[in-house]
Formats: sequence, structure tokens, C-alpha cells
Amino acid sequence: MRDEEIDRVLGGEEDILPSSGFHAAVMEAVHREATAPPPIPFPWKRAWPAFAAAALALVGLLVNSSAAGPPDFDSLIPVAQSVGAPWIALAAAATLGSLLLSRRLADERY
Amino acid sequence: MSHDEDREVVREVLAGDDSAFGRIVTRWQGPLVSLAYRFTRDPGRAEDLAQEAFLRAYRTLRSWREDSAFSTWLFALALNLFRSELRRIPPRTVSLEDVAELRDGRSEIPGVEQSDRDRAVRAAVQALPAKYREALVVFYFHRSDVAVTATTLGIPEGTVKARLHRGRELLRRKLTR
Repeated sequence: MRDEEIDRVLGGEEDILPSSGFHAAVMEAVHREATAPPPIPFPWKRAWPAFAAAALALVGLLVNSSAAGPPDFDSLIPVAQSVGAPWIALAAAATLGSLLLSRRLADERY
Repeated sequence: MSHDEDREVVREVLAGDDSAFGRIVTRWQGPLVSLAYRFTRDPGRAEDLAQEAFLRAYRTLRSWREDSAFSTWLFALALNLFRSELRRIPPRTVSLEDVAELRDGRSEIPGVEQSDRDRAVRAAVQALPAKYREALVVFYFHRSDVAVTATTLGIPEGTVKARLHRGRELLRRKLTR
């Protein structure tokens, strides 16, 4: 098979025509979309104080730990285990993973 | 409808006149359904995909920057949608074994009908890896225009040429096996 034949077959392909109801179906979908209630926005106003408090707490923690010298990570391990930190980390990772996956699937769909 | 008219219609839609979108659908329904058909080889699914592409265009009309032709933006958007939908539910492809085996064009087999050969070529395109299939389909859809193909695919022209070259090479190999 030569390039000329590939060009002839693929380049000479006729376009197909949409069915008679296609235009109406699209416009109906557009109309539905236009009249659908807008998605509920993320409540940034309510969330900002919590974000700010978390950021402040993090900064405070960093300042405290840097003032107290280099951290002793070995002493933190038993404390972390006693409060179930590995399970918390696992749950957080699973939540993050499911969030990212659902966003990705939603992006593909819409 | 010219580029200026496209721009005008888009502005009308963005100003709240949803019915103006009908003019966009009228103008681009043929090309969009045809492009979808070249990927799916199924008229029903092609219309479903084209409808979804129009709907996505309507939702994201504000993201068209007007620095490129409306058609370029629309085809790129549609192609992204087709790509993800076809990854989710791949099109049914005709097995090459079902189609008459081909030999090199210099020694054509007597009795093999032209339409069989054409079907074989199209089936072989469907069976190519996605990046070569997309390059070939979009290139021929745009009447062999490398620059427009590159813009639609969002890749440099050199990459388009390389993919076309490699895609044709794979096609030849499949069809002469």
C-alpha cells in the first residue's frame, strides 16, 4: 500500500450529515442547561476563618518547634502511635485519593 | 458565516440570548458530526458525541479568547471530549482479519473490491495507537492542512508530521501483513 492510496481513501471520505432531529436535540439540551439552577458555590466566606485559623496554628507550631531547637522525631513516634496517627494518615490519604479520583472522573465527563 | 459572524453570535449568546447558539449549531453540526463519525464509525454515537461537544462548548463559551478562530477552539474542545469518551468506551473496530488481505499497491490482487480495500484502510486506522489515529483522522478531516491539524491537536507542526509519517508506516505494515 502506497501513501497515495492512503491519501485517496482517507482524504476522499465524504462527510456525513446529521439526522433531521439533531439540531433540535442539541438546542433542547442547551435550553435545559440554560434553565438549570446554577451549581451551589463553595462557601468561601464560611470557610475562610477555618483556613486562617489552621494556617495560624501551623505557623505557631513551626515557630515553637524552631525556637525549641531541632525536633526529636524519635520521641514523637510513640505519641503519634498512641493517638492513632497512622490510621488518621491512612484515612486522610484515602479521602484525598477518592477526592482526586472523583474530580478526575467528573472532569472527563464534563 | 464568517469568523466575524461567529464572534458576533458568541457575543449574543454570552449576553444572554441562548437561541443565538442555534446558529452556531446550524453552522458546525455537519463538521462536528463528521469528525466524531471518523473516530467512532457509528452514526448514532457520532451524534451523541457531537451533541455533548456542543453542550460543553455552550457551557465554556466564555473561555474562547477570540485570538483564534472559533472553529479551532470548537474542534479542539470536541477532540478532547471525543478522546476521553473513546477511552472510556472504545469504539467497536472491525478486525483486519475480517477484511480482504491487502498487498502492496503496485501488485493489486484481482477480485479485491475497491470498497473492501477502503474499508480495510479505515479499519486499520481505527486499530492504530491513539496518537497516530488522531493525527491521521484530524489531518484528513482538515483537508490535509498540517497547520490547522497542529492547532486542533495542540501540538507543534513538526510533531504532526512525525505522527503522520509514523502512522502511515504502521498502516502500511498492517495492510501488507
